[in-house]
Amino acid sequence: MEEQLKIDFEKKLKDFSYSDQEKKFKETNFKEFLKQGFPNRKLESWKFSDLNQIIKSNIGELTFYNDYKKENQIDKIQLISDLEHNKLIVIDGKIEKIDFKFEEKDKIEVLVEQGEETIKENINSLINLNNAFSNKFCKIIIKKNYSLKKPLVIYHSTNKNTQSKNTNSRIDFKLEENACLRLIDIFKDNTEKNFLNIYYNFELDKSSILKNYKIDKSINNNVKYSYNNVKQEANSISETFILSSGSKFFKNEINCNLQGQHSSAFVNGIFDLDDENHHEIKSNINHLVENTKSYQLVKSVLEKKSKAVYQGKIFVSSEAQKTDGYQLSNAILLSENSEFNAKPELEIYADDVKCSHGSSSGSLDENSIFYLMSRGLNYKEAKKLLINGFLLDVIEKITDEEIKNLIKNLLGVKE
Amino acid sequence: MLKINNLSAKIDNKSILQDFKLEINPGEVHAIMGPNGSGKSTLSNILSGKKGYDVTGEVLFENSDLFSLETEERAHKGIFLAFQYPLEIPGVNTNVFLKTSLNAIKKARGEKELDAIQFLKLVKEKAKELKFDEEKLGRQLNVGFSGGEKKKNEILQMSILNPKLSILDETDSGLDIDALKTVADGVNALRKKNNSFLIITHYQRLLEYIKPDFVHVLMNGKIIKSGGPDLALELEKKGYENIN
Amino acid sequence: MRDKQIEDLKDYKYGFSTDIESFKAPKGLNEDVIKFISNIKKEPKWLLDWRLKAFERLKVLKEPDWQKPKYPKIDYQDLYYYSAPKSFKDKPKSLDELDPKLLETYQKLGIPLNEQKRLNGIAVDAVFDSVSVATTFKETLTKQGIIFCSISEAVQKHPELVKKYLGTVIPLTDHFFATLNSAVFTDGSFVYIPPGVRCPMELSTYFRINASDTGQFERTLIIADKGSYVSYLEGCTAPMRDENQLHAANVELIALDDAEIKYSTVQNWYPGDKDGKGGIYNFVTKRGLCKGKNSKISWTQVETGSAITWKYPSCILKGDNSIGEFYSIAITNNHQKADTGTKMIHLGKNTKSKIISKGISAGFSDMTYRGLVDISPKATNSNNFTQCDSLLMGNKCGAHTVPYIKNKNSDSNIAHEATTSKISEEQLHYCQQRGLNPEEAVGLIVNGFCKEVLQQLPMEFAVEAQKLVGISLEGSVG
Repeated sequence: MEEQLKIDFEKKLKDFSYSDQEKKFKETNFKEFLKQGFPNRKLESWKFSDLNQIIKSNIGELTFYNDYKKENQIDKIQLISDLEHNKLIVIDGKIEKIDFKFEEKDKIEVLVEQGEETIKENINSLINLNNAFSNKFCKIIIKKNYSLKKPLVIYHSTNKNTQSKNTNSRIDFKLEENACLRLIDIFKDNTEKNFLNIYYNFELDKSSILKNYKIDKSINNNVKYSYNNVKQEANSISETFILSSGSKFFKNEINCNLQGQHSSAFVNGIFDLDDENHHEIKSNINHLVENTKSYQLVKSVLEKKSKAVYQGKIFVSSEAQKTDGYQLSNAILLSENSEFNAKPELEIYADDVKCSHGSSSGSLDENSIFYLMSRGLNYKEAKKLLINGFLLDVIEKITDEEIKNLIKNLLGVKE
Repeated sequence: MLKINNLSAKIDNKSILQDFKLEINPGEVHAIMGPNGSGKSTLSNILSGKKGYDVTGEVLFENSDLFSLETEERAHKGIFLAFQYPLEIPGVNTNVFLKTSLNAIKKARGEKELDAIQFLKLVKEKAKELKFDEEKLGRQLNVGFSGGEKKKNEILQMSILNPKLSILDETDSGLDIDALKTVADGVNALRKKNNSFLIITHYQRLLEYIKPDFVHVLMNGKIIKSGGPDLALELEKKGYENIN
Repeated sequence: MRDKQIEDLKDYKYGFSTDIESFKAPKGLNEDVIKFISNIKKEPKWLLDWRLKAFERLKVLKEPDWQKPKYPKIDYQDLYYYSAPKSFKDKPKSLDELDPKLLETYQKLGIPLNEQKRLNGIAVDAVFDSVSVATTFKETLTKQGIIFCSISEAVQKHPELVKKYLGTVIPLTDHFFATLNSAVFTDGSFVYIPPGVRCPMELSTYFRINASDTGQFERTLIIADKGSYVSYLEGCTAPMRDENQLHAANVELIALDDAEIKYSTVQNWYPGDKDGKGGIYNFVTKRGLCKGKNSKISWTQVETGSAITWKYPSCILKGDNSIGEFYSIAITNNHQKADTGTKMIHLGKNTKSKIISKGISAGFSDMTYRGLVDISPKATNSNNFTQCDSLLMGNKCGAHTVPYIKNKNSDSNIAHEATTSKISEEQLHYCQQRGLNPEEAVGLIVNGFCKEVLQQLPMEFAVEAQKLVGISLEGSVG
């Protein structure tokens, strides 16, 4: 693997022109990744999902070079038809199209040159990998007081014949004061044996609102990792919803720094897993100043040999008095081979706080099934009805009506 | 017994009480009536020593400066507050709480503390007088008590601790007529030559059962009118807006 | 100076040290020291071999570093691994022969070894530094076939039992501190309850570290045979010393079919002074095996002492229908650090476990609950309930909850709840209005917060523990 990495990185530097600054940034990150490799279970945050092992057994050898000069076909991608939206299409890690056709042009700025700032913080080796191999820098700025009229949908896809490849994409977002963005990630990659690595950076200025809905519903045999790094100023709100379902492996990580007073973060999610799929959501909500709030709710429905992992952490610094933090995860295990692991963690250094977490897992309540069957439903119908009910309250947490309905349709959940 | 001179209180720079004056002599029952937000609860909080208020003026209790005393020292001296919203303290047995409290006060006064048997005898007696369900005394303090039970529990504590000055902060709110009578009985039983009461209330109802010597009307942090028991009736008829 | 000493003594009333001449093994950790310990205890060869095997293993093991509290490196070569009162070279035959100073020490601790002044129906085994000094009520117990003695004595008199069960719950190769204990353990208690016997009194061990620079490595082994019951209490204190002292004990419990073991600890090792100087490092491995069907093991702990505590009393629920319980109160103040919790490993069918943890941190201290609930695919129809509550006093301390929850069985349920809060101003005001001073009020409220756990303790211990809860938090109300 190391040799392949070196060859691909050399080729990349040769084939594309980078400024000295970009080059240095990529080289530093590349070295760091070489040193650490893919994360494994020895690292506390990868304890339940050994990515190194998962890549070995599902993919084997990977290649890292991507031809960012090549034009990818985008017309093959099935777009959402029942929702008017702006588009951003990413294929094999390359942004192929950006289309804000519903918006006022001067309210959105798209930067493609790497700016002065380079993120120095060392998050993990996958972010190093991403920084080393992703294409040109891309940053989207939503101007002050502007609310996008329609949601932005980012389609993540792979070319039909892409296989055993690692693709990396990174997009930075800045929401200026009082701006509002609805962002939907849709994963449309029906290939196999690829490792998609996605990294988003969000800066939320005062009173801005971000709603990010990640939908992984179509079935595929790829391995995915997505990292959202969110920084929130005063009165800003971030809402993240994750529907984790179709991929072979998917780990969604949300890191949220509540650094302005009265900012709040909501992370909700559903694991709807089948076969041998193994998914994880890991959240880090860092309450750094007074009067911030976070709320997390994750529900899992697990079939066959599937495995869901939820690691949710609430951190409260000693300055962050009056923090309100809440976290709950519930799982239903539908098969004797399915597995649910949770690590709901609290790390608290301030005393005037209200923090709690809960977690439960178990089987579907047989008494309820019996009750429904006595009213004339068959077993399958009864089960479906109970699962719908189980999932409904987390779906109801979605604040955007259009998207709520979209997700309800995707899951076949009726009220 | 209690002398309040020019008491002003602010919270977060918002003025609540202004130049408040009141004098209560031994054996007297005073009622303070006023609409919501007039400063009634602030008065009881300040007298009991709750922190968080900016206070100026003077309050003397039996000639000692109240502001130089901690909350528990005021209790030791004989000030009792029946809380408007009695607190729940999970895991703490009601009897244990009462005994700890009674003995803390006795100890501070240099009196002999009660042992478990003496204490239980006293509690039983008082609970019977007040028709307080004895079984509740074995439960966690106020946890799972109804609103009425919590209020009766306050009166039970009052009769056991036998204070010199009892402040009843809207003890009547949320009580049905039977509970109201029980509360009044408790107060009347304690009414002696040397015991005084400050009854803070919204309605005249309670005063039908506890005859006050004086009634004061509190509006916007000031006493705007004082009088005898008839003032309560007048208030009931005219409402707060039309009294002056 | 004297005033300061008195002041310190008030804080930790067990802080005196006893001037008893002690007999020590040479400093350092090596094969010779292990042979020395084994030799002085006249151990059979199999046990020496077992110790040496552990020592071999120790050479490749690393000290764990995943716990939250970190500590300065311990120089294992600069410790004494064996220390005994000199008068013990030939063990006294009866209590009358005990060094009067020793008796006095235990008297000060409130543990009368003299049977006439016995604590209500509690049999006591007292461990002083490295050796067991006295066991009370032996005869009463012997009549029922109960064996309660020091583990050294058990090795001599009941080698078949020791050999059969020693290391079966905590294997030689487990982890650094457990393995270190296996190599150098000096003494501890041994309990065997024969089939069908309900032990008529509480059994208790009192641990005391006296000598300086001494590690205490005791080993306790409790076996409850079929259908038997035993309740066992453990208490610990140590003198105040400026340097840190290491306590790395191993406790193994084995419950056979239908047997029940209740193990209670009130741990009050010296926590160090207000600035965090000195105090015990309490790195203890405690594990119970519910080996037989319908067996039950219940751990109750009140942890108020030690500079650093790492401790996870665990249950392996192997027998079908077996039950594991963990009730814990942990209090840290000043610069204390604790990382404690439990592991419930569900292997058998219909196994149940319950975890109630109450953590209180004050001052500059740091407290972590760390727990694992693991329901294996074969543990059908099992369930766990966990409740972790933390109370913070001030914003210089930390309270953390790190549960690991693994459910691999669809017919089994796990429920976990956790909260973090502080004592409300309103509650304090209410208590103060009733005449309690702030410290009394806090003591009362905290005892209420801990009630579910305190209720689990045997009567005599519960009273002591309640007082301890109040004492430990003294000075933490601002």
